Amino acid sequence: MTSVSTSRTAMPIDEFAPSAPARQKAAARPLRWLWLAVAAAVLVYLPFVLHDRAILGYRLSNIQLLNVGLAQLNLTLIAVLGAVSLNYLTGCAGLVSIGHAAFFAVGAMAAAATGAQLGLPFLVSLVAALIAGAAAGVLAGLPSLRVRGLYFVLSTMALHFIVVFAFSEYQYAAFDVFGISYPQPAIGPFALDSALKWYFFLLPIVVLCCLACNYSLKHREGRALLAVRDNEQAASSSGIDVRVLRLKAFAFSSAIASLAGALQAYYLTTVSTELYSLNLAISFIAMIIIGGMGSIAGGVVGALVWLLLPSVLTGFAGELGAAGGGLAKIFVEHRPQVVNLIFGSLVAVLLIFAPGGIVGAARKLTKLVRPGAEA
Amino acid sequence: MLVQFLLTGLALGSIYGLVALGFAVIYKAERVFNFAQGILMVCGAYLAYTATTQLGLPFPVAVIVIIAAAALLGIVIQFLFIRPLSGQPLLPVIMITIALSIILKALIEILYGVQPKPLATSLPTGVLILGDVRLSQLNLTAAVVSWVCMGVFFAFFRFTKAGLLMRATADSHEAAILSGVNVNRINAGAWAIGTILAVIGGVFLGQIQLASTELEHIGLLALPAVVIGGLQSIPGAIVGGILVGVIEQLASGYISPKARDVFIYIPLLIMLLVRPWGLFGNRELGRV
Amino acid sequence: MMALNGTPAADTPLLEVRTLSVAYGRKAVALNAVNLTVPKAGVVALLGANGAGKTTLIRTVSGLIRLHNGAITGGEVLLEGKSIAGLSADRIVRLGMGQVPEGRLVFKNLTVEENLQVGGAILPRATLAERLDAVYDLFPRLAERKDQAAGLMSGGEQQMLALGRALAASPRVLLIDELSLGLAPLIVGAIYQQLKKIREHFGTALLIVEQNARLALGICDYAYVLERGEIVLAGPAELVAASERMHESYLGARAERQAAAG
Repeated sequence: MTSVSTSRTAMPIDEFAPSAPARQKAAARPLRWLWLAVAAAVLVYLPFVLHDRAILGYRLSNIQLLNVGLAQLNLTLIAVLGAVSLNYLTGCAGLVSIGHAAFFAVGAMAAAATGAQLGLPFLVSLVAALIAGAAAGVLAGLPSLRVRGLYFVLSTMALHFIVVFAFSEYQYAAFDVFGISYPQPAIGPFALDSALKWYFFLLPIVVLCCLACNYSLKHREGRALLAVRDNEQAASSSGIDVRVLRLKAFAFSSAIASLAGALQAYYLTTVSTELYSLNLAISFIAMIIIGGMGSIAGGVVGALVWLLLPSVLTGFAGELGAAGGGLAKIFVEHRPQVVNLIFGSLVAVLLIFAPGGIVGAARKLTKLVRPGAEA
Repeated sequence: MLVQFLLTGLALGSIYGLVALGFAVIYKAERVFNFAQGILMVCGAYLAYTATTQLGLPFPVAVIVIIAAAALLGIVIQFLFIRPLSGQPLLPVIMITIALSIILKALIEILYGVQPKPLATSLPTGVLILGDVRLSQLNLTAAVVSWVCMGVFFAFFRFTKAGLLMRATADSHEAAILSGVNVNRINAGAWAIGTILAVIGGVFLGQIQLASTELEHIGLLALPAVVIGGLQSIPGAIVGGILVGVIEQLASGYISPKARDVFIYIPLLIMLLVRPWGLFGNRELGRV
Repeated sequence: MMALNGTPAADTPLLEVRTLSVAYGRKAVALNAVNLTVPKAGVVALLGANGAGKTTLIRTVSGLIRLHNGAITGGEVLLEGKSIAGLSADRIVRLGMGQVPEGRLVFKNLTVEENLQVGGAILPRATLAERLDAVYDLFPRLAERKDQAAGLMSGGEQQMLALGRALAASPRVLLIDELSLGLAPLIVGAIYQQLKKIREHFGTALLIVEQNARLALGICDYAYVLERGEIVLAGPAELVAASERMHESYLGARAERQAAAG
């Protein structure tokens, strides 16, 4: 007979399965460096492939390149910043914000005030965006000290509408109905005047931000916040000042989002208030659901899928269109709607069948294939 | 002018109150904070377009068809989207209603195109002039119908067995199950009612403005309306809706139409910080 | 299992649990080959300490086990000879098994009358009124408070209402979980007196799950004792009450002896 008391304590819960033994980890280390080197090489070579539409001299068709251009890749990198910073907030504070587009607007406003109005250098206006974002983040985080869950989500929604109103007032007062125009960004004598240059400017920023988020999640403060998320009382009784930590997380997350907003504004050269719709905020949430909530990788994967899938679909629909399929016709005529339909369904299906998103599903798969492998 | 704004606000607010009521029913039934309520309202405008303009049904028949379609839509949504996530925490459930709103919006735009459609129902469209005040008959009808719907709604919950079982389920899921209540069916019923109320609001708003997915934005005002009124409170939802309608009219009348959102969402923010359980809510229950 | 003399009525029992095993998650066995029978109009007690598996057993019988991530790994649950394992909880209630859950689960915002109406909602309208009258006869106190919100009543009254609500559906067997929990002894005594009346009035069979063995043994005909997921003792109430084992662990004999020795 099995004793109930002992077997209950041994009840396994998937998520907390013991990690791989240490020696296996050590063995995996050289392999890991190899993978990193390969990834770095791919990231560096990728823009040239997209720019020349060729790989090692072989010309590639649009379809072979998944219909993706360099400009899309750059916008994706910016979106990665948005998704990763939102996921950082969700991951470490357990809070989801419907106001993430508002921080993009804050960044764009800070950049407009410093870069377009005062004529300060590009890098200075990026720093201004970071600072403005952090400050706005602390303000946005204040309600989280008082209200939880649903009410907090709503407070971020209220924040969204307030910031967007401020943006439109600012835009109409200082610029015109067509939007805010940004000067040509340049770093000292180097002008960011091509997609290729932008790529190599954005890539290190994105990598750095991801590493910073990852570091914060995995180290002291992140762990403390995770403890807060899982058990508030335990954490506060262990002497952690939950409130300060949460505000810090907020400031950090929104500073990155604000930076992304400034970068996006400069990249697009003109932005108008319509850009910062509730849909933009929702798209960031959708990204982290698709990628996987709470992890940096989830943010990256989600942003990649969100920005690249539409063009991939367009490419395939173009091919199919020649064959004259009725579905392809609908796609050509209603491209954004079909894309939204697919995304909406994807989010719903993932929520129901794979709540961990693509990254979570992939981890489960690797566990199935190689039990004991590092997740 | 003030009287004019107040009356128009009251009329529009009655519609919002109706939509918010639908929202509150769904929330009370299974604690689903339905971000798709706005798009459900839009569905109402397009259902009306299909029933009257496309199918050319006589108005009374069209009304029945619209209500039946709305009920069916609510039941299907509950079955496909909400039931699989029952028992899940707040966040995934909010997310799936957002996904639902993306899907519905895309479907509407594919089926009907992105151009707004004018609605041609046989609702009265004249203007009533009382001294200085001009009141559109349509607004007035909308207000009256909204109040009748609310009355029917209260009677349903007070006097019918289905209404009693719904109230019981909202009170305690577990006790309802253990009393032999088929909670899934009750929840589907709540979605049917919530959708019907949103759709009725949409028929009127589509007529007052145009049928377009842009209306979603207005439908979403049901959210601040419900929270300001008190999430747990049915009368709160109605009062919140009327308040939002009046604020909207005053803000767009005296300041600018763009200012509408701020003057609704700033009170929401203040309410969340000061009295999260809302005007009519219960303090204990207000801690979500 | 140590069987004491006598088995419950020989014809098809009302409720029968046959070699039932239940597990939570992948490994944790909560019940191991449990047999239990409730005869028609019989009163059966299920006794055991905290964590013995009583709650698991009652959840399984009432169809709530899946909600708690448990699964039946063997055996069956029969209501009047028909398997009910795997049916949803509300379905099982509609098949005639009433439930009085632990913790006085009443509809707090509904009135007493409305609570009873929900309980009897599965009955046709004509018989409902009659049935409610019978419930009010049994619990005159509920009749006095007809229009009061259930949440405003005392704990004992709420427990009474929970009983009344379950009875309103005319169940053939009533599952009563930890009735005494959190109530003053005097009130518990009064409610146990009502339980006796339930059998006399309605002929309803009762399965009483109780930690307080002395109380339950006072009114049941037959008792089972659950320990670590297995039935360790079963028999007519008086034999169980007299058994050495029962005295050792549940009826406080050990404490008495210790007191005498010390």
